[in-house]
Amino acid sequence: MNAPLLACGGLTMRFDGLVALDGLDIEVGKGETVGLVGPNGSGKTTFFNVVTGLYKPSAGSVRLDARDLFAKPPQMIGRAGVARTFQRSRLMLDQSVFDNIVVGALCRLDLGLFSNLFRRRRWCDELGGMVDRARALAHRFNPVIADRLFQPAGSFTMIDRRRIEICRALIGAPRLLLLDEPSAGMTHDETRQLMDDLLAFRQEMPDLAVILVEHEMDVIRRVSDRCVVLNFGRKIFEGTFDALIANPDVQTAYLGVSQ
Amino acid sequence: MSSIPSPIPVLSPLRMQRHPRAVVVLTVALLFAGGGLMMHAESQIQVLGLLAAFLVMFAIADRTPLGQDISAICGDYSGFANGVAFVCALGLIVVFRGEHYTLLMLATVALFSTACIALNLQLAFAGIANFAGAAFFVLGSYTAAVMTAYAGIPHLLILVVSGIVTGAIGVILLLPVLRTRGHYAALVTIAFGLLLRSLLEVNDTLGGPQGMKIKGFSILGLDFNRVSSIGPWDVSFYLPYAVLSICIFAVAFTLIRRIERSWIGIALDAVRSDETAASVFGLSIARWKVVAFLIGNAVIGVAGAVYGMMNGFVTPNGSGLGDSLLMLSIIVLGGLGNFWGAVVAAMVILVIPEKLQAIQEFRLLIFALLVLAILLFRPSGILPRPIRDLSRFIGRPGAGA
Repeated sequence: MNAPLLACGGLTMRFDGLVALDGLDIEVGKGETVGLVGPNGSGKTTFFNVVTGLYKPSAGSVRLDARDLFAKPPQMIGRAGVARTFQRSRLMLDQSVFDNIVVGALCRLDLGLFSNLFRRRRWCDELGGMVDRARALAHRFNPVIADRLFQPAGSFTMIDRRRIEICRALIGAPRLLLLDEPSAGMTHDETRQLMDDLLAFRQEMPDLAVILVEHEMDVIRRVSDRCVVLNFGRKIFEGTFDALIANPDVQTAYLGVSQ
Repeated sequence: MSSIPSPIPVLSPLRMQRHPRAVVVLTVALLFAGGGLMMHAESQIQVLGLLAAFLVMFAIADRTPLGQDISAICGDYSGFANGVAFVCALGLIVVFRGEHYTLLMLATVALFSTACIALNLQLAFAGIANFAGAAFFVLGSYTAAVMTAYAGIPHLLILVVSGIVTGAIGVILLLPVLRTRGHYAALVTIAFGLLLRSLLEVNDTLGGPQGMKIKGFSILGLDFNRVSSIGPWDVSFYLPYAVLSICIFAVAFTLIRRIERSWIGIALDAVRSDETAASVFGLSIARWKVVAFLIGNAVIGVAGAVYGMMNGFVTPNGSGLGDSLLMLSIIVLGGLGNFWGAVVAAMVILVIPEKLQAIQEFRLLIFALLVLAILLFRPSGILPRPIRDLSRFIGRPGAGA
């Protein structure tokens, strides 16, 4: 691994008495996919919330390509190139698919009042470019979404909504993508489809670093280069998937019995 | 679009699609003719008849394939339809050129609709419940009163200044509105309205409870209050005010429609529906709330300035919570986020009680029941907000609202 893209050192998050993250060290390299696993409440989503700035960490360091992102506001971290999806779908269901997807790129567009209101010709050109990008992105996941780009996001199935969320995270050309349980609430078949999608876009964006939180071990096995296991906010394992399966500490954490 | 053949051959879907602009012109003209008659009607029977006709038309537009086709065509050609509506409104002014009361009503509806569109920007797009709409409206009137009395600047400029002053006074509220959410932000605006009213009532410089007189609007030496004829026609002095009000409405409508149909509109929707997600994607929550709140208040202030100049006086009375609630109920009734819905609801709330003496005493009760009924049975309002379909702007440069 070259110099890591994301480097978190000694990351600690306390909620009053509860220690949700306890001195966590995680590094992710350019183009690497890291699977983040651990039992419920082990701090996976908290880690995402800290990295994206939704929670202010109590101690530690977060760096993206040598840029300090520790305890910075979320919009600054978003603009620095960190994008994410959420465990529970967070789309604007009444708005069109395009509106939802383009939210992910808004902070890179011209948001000036004057240019939006009075330079309509330029704005229409910019719109045309964004629609093409959104359509191409959606088409990669499901052509049906690309065809119905201007229909409400609420009219799509759960798996398509999740795809829309992933498109929203990708359209801003992020450097680090955090996927929070993309397979939650999906059937076996749907999960498999979604994995195929993930692997497909993974190949087209070789520099993108991905951290994937997942309970579905099949997904972790197929997608991730390296796995990190959390328990009670601590890293208890780091290594390949095969080593993870064989690791007694991980088994203890998951099953609650020592062997 | 439905493929069910229409029972009336002239209105067959195919024919309508071949002449969409004709359909738009006829529909809009019919609606405005009805609206004009409503404002003009004197007997209660006429008013009730028109009301019934509107309800039937609304049911047809809402429930039958024919009505849905027509609605869809008007939606597809919304820019054109808005232009036709502007011409029709001017047409109404020409038709009722001599009638004080009808023109006053028309101008009032246009100005309140303007304020309500601004409230829509705040509530329906940015999610800020502003319960001080009437307070900002009256602030616009007071600014016009002070400026006409003490400053010798052109009156058109006074409208701009009223907007700026109202927007600037709104800045006081920014910090508490940004630091609170939902109901709490609403409470802050309620408190502001109450404080402002008390301040106006005890402040002698601004006339105390008696309020202030406001000089009539004049432009290029033409004093609106002295207008009595244009060419061969005798006209009401309300006529120029009605034209001005319609123009103010058109400008505000275009401005806020463009905000909606731009990246800013999407940013506002993102901020309203999910602050967490919006901030993760790099949007600054505070920035967009500030933009919507200040622009909204400024537009309300301009409408209030014209209203004050038209009436010739302003008192603290109109700034109360009741009037602010009336404005909010207009946008809830009309459909949050639908500008024409606000106009329709402004007609319902402002015109019908004036016309139906029988209900005038119970008007607040009836509004309350109406709003309750809408919230229960049609929560998205009389005219629900249409989905933002930006595809129509692709490759169509210069397309506006």
